[in-house]
Amino acid sequence: MTAYLVSMLTFTGFFMILALALNLQWGMTGMVNFGIAGFYALGAYTSGLLTAKLGWPVGLAMPTAVAAGFVAGGLIALLSLRLREDFFAIVTLGFGEIMRLIALNEDEITEGPRGLKIDARPFAGMFDRELYPIVYLILVASVVALAFIVVECIRRAPLGRTLRAIREDDVVAEVLGKNVLLHRVTVFAIGGAFMGAAGALYAHYVQNISPEVFMPMVAIFIWMSVIVGGAGNNWGLLIGAGIVMTILEGTRFIGDFVDILDAEKLSALRIILIGTLLIIILRVKQGGLLPEQRFTYKGSQESGRTETQTSNA
Amino acid sequence: MMADAILRASGVYAGYGRGDIIHGVSVEARPGEIVTVIGPNGAGKSTLIKTIAGLLSPRLGTVAIGDEEIGGLPAPAVARRGIAFVPQEANVFRQLTVAENLEMGAWTDQDRKDERLDKVHALFPVLAERRHVRAGNLSGGQRQMVAFGMAMMVEPRVLLLDEPSAGLSPTMVEQMFEIVKGVNQTGVAVLMVEQNAIQALKISRRGYVMAAGKVALEDAADNLLQNKEISELYLGSRV
Amino acid sequence: MSWQILVNGLVNAALIAPPAIALSLIFGVMRFPNFAIGGYITVGAFFAYAVNVDLGAPIWLAAIAAMIGTAVVVWLSDALVFRPMQGRGPVTLLVLSIALTLILEHIVRLFYGADVRGFDLPLQRPYRFGDIRITQEQIEIIVLAIAIAAITHLILQYTRTGKAVRATADNPMLAQVRGIDTGWIILLTWLYCGMLFGLTGVLAGLDLVIEPLVGWYLTIPIFAAAILGGIGSPYGAMLGALLVGLAEELTVLILPSTYKIGVGFVIIAILLLVRPQGLLGRPEIKK
Repeated sequence: MTAYLVSMLTFTGFFMILALALNLQWGMTGMVNFGIAGFYALGAYTSGLLTAKLGWPVGLAMPTAVAAGFVAGGLIALLSLRLREDFFAIVTLGFGEIMRLIALNEDEITEGPRGLKIDARPFAGMFDRELYPIVYLILVASVVALAFIVVECIRRAPLGRTLRAIREDDVVAEVLGKNVLLHRVTVFAIGGAFMGAAGALYAHYVQNISPEVFMPMVAIFIWMSVIVGGAGNNWGLLIGAGIVMTILEGTRFIGDFVDILDAEKLSALRIILIGTLLIIILRVKQGGLLPEQRFTYKGSQESGRTETQTSNA
Repeated sequence: MMADAILRASGVYAGYGRGDIIHGVSVEARPGEIVTVIGPNGAGKSTLIKTIAGLLSPRLGTVAIGDEEIGGLPAPAVARRGIAFVPQEANVFRQLTVAENLEMGAWTDQDRKDERLDKVHALFPVLAERRHVRAGNLSGGQRQMVAFGMAMMVEPRVLLLDEPSAGLSPTMVEQMFEIVKGVNQTGVAVLMVEQNAIQALKISRRGYVMAAGKVALEDAADNLLQNKEISELYLGSRV
Repeated sequence: MSWQILVNGLVNAALIAPPAIALSLIFGVMRFPNFAIGGYITVGAFFAYAVNVDLGAPIWLAAIAAMIGTAVVVWLSDALVFRPMQGRGPVTLLVLSIALTLILEHIVRLFYGADVRGFDLPLQRPYRFGDIRITQEQIEIIVLAIAIAAITHLILQYTRTGKAVRATADNPMLAQVRGIDTGWIILLTWLYCGMLFGLTGVLAGLDLVIEPLVGWYLTIPIFAAAILGGIGSPYGAMLGALLVGLAEELTVLILPSTYKIGVGFVIIAILLLVRPQGLLGRPEIKK
């Protein structure tokens, strides 16, 4: 039971790192990232391949994975210069899918759906088998703490104010002399780096990675963590990540009580549950999601509908 | 002279959700007259006219056309009752041709559509000429004609104009007010809000002066034009 | 060889043209990129599968049932999800639509699992014209796509309601002021598009296979086509579908066909950068 708890906490840690990175990108800067799975995969495969195929030491491979996430994030953020936020979101989704497709199809390198086996582990041989999972949990927790401190520092620093200005209105920020693009690229790259780190930690923890883990669904789990916790609020999203993981894990046990559901159906049911919860939370938490500053009057240009909404104009 | 008002807003409080912008405003328009609401930026003129048009709901107070209460009705329902609103900006369908724009104008009332179209074409001959051109490709003045023509396609009982002269060149402004006069001479009551106070009052019978969300003064247009205080306060900069 | 690629590209284009038109229409009146289309298409495919295979009805009847069934699902999703959250900004609606597509896809999985299926149809030999092979179904797909493009054009251009759809997409506030019940117009648009998504599910089942991910595989090329054509412009979407359909087939010459979905994304990314308003679209100011 302790072993299970430790492993669950470790997985929650991966979620927390991803959620903190997303909060940096979206909650604070307003840049939508649906390609979280892509950065996660990039980190996992970079570190995994470097150790398993080229024999690099973990201590070198993991930082390289972080760097890969940083560079990929920076490059993608360059596109935000010319794109509306929702179209930028589509591009990030595309990045995620392309990463997954490469992992799936370049199977001579990545082993494709067979899965890449990774033997290397950080601190291998330094602790006995009983203790190692706890050591790994501490490692993951330290990265969570590091991500938390970095994101929180950025939030409180003058940079944070600039980021919020960009989120509210990038034209105004530009006029004020803030270099919007540079800030965006920096923030997105830092977010990408942490996502890469989460991927590398995941890879060396499970020691067997395959493309189906990195479906766009991952993005939904992380988005849900951030939304549940409250966008822009770093403490909230840690709790959010815990709640999402609890739902994911908790629903596993439904199968123990209802035997008509096989594993396939059960996993489908979990996704339905998560998706429905996300919709309900978004619906109930009016205004909790995006700080929509644009005023809208009844039947505004934005929504284009009046008839249904006369009372709350 | 003192005919019953065809459009009457009384004691209207309204705003954009976060508190009221106008506080207890009462205005009316009588058959066949032009009424102008003037006042500085932020006085609540636009909020008032949008509330009458049904784009905002009054929080308190009533809006009535004839004897019928319309306060709180959605915009399409207000339009069906013969109130034609011409917004200040984005007042044509840019992707639709001139002819299609006018057809959308007649949406609520299909009777004698052709006859009305002829009337609008008589008022603005250039619209007949350019009927297959997309409204977005017209000049500013011609777009304003399309916006007016659309509103006239229903033979409205009241025409509501939100800053009809905004963004037009000085010569166009003059033309614009000629158009308003022409439309009024067909028997339609006009209620407009305007920054361009002098010219608007010159063609109006009555006027209201709004300030800080309230009606500060109400008088015959001629008297307002003579009023020294008013001309210094609101008109001065515009002369 | 090369002519065969052209034919395959045409079939591909015909498959994505109707939903790309529908996506454009929906974007026009709703103003956000709706990723729920993948779920709708999957639902359509499985409605048809249920009627055709489980109930044993002929395919044309299954197609009609799928169109009606999908339209109902689309209407429900609007009433339960999108309508209550109107005016919340495009990103929120985008998140919602992705959640919705996952829900729909997994409801299908719950009933049918992840197995790959096909309709119950008599096997027919493909027609041959010289070196070119084309199946009966592929011809039907092309004919239907052309018919749908023509019908949509006639509705938008010559009917009162169609013009009101364009007016609502152009300027919803003005449409209301002119007395158009935009809520009703939006509902009609949803239902029409729902039928097109349902039909797409059926056609995809005819040409490809039926599985829960069938809608997701088509989502990206559909978005690529709609964006290429200038999102919100149904005519552009038709042209966009043609270009994306051909581009996807041409890349098979260079890349393994499993990368098809990536081609769509690359087209989207490049196009959005070079010409954000699309080929036929009007310029839209970046917010």
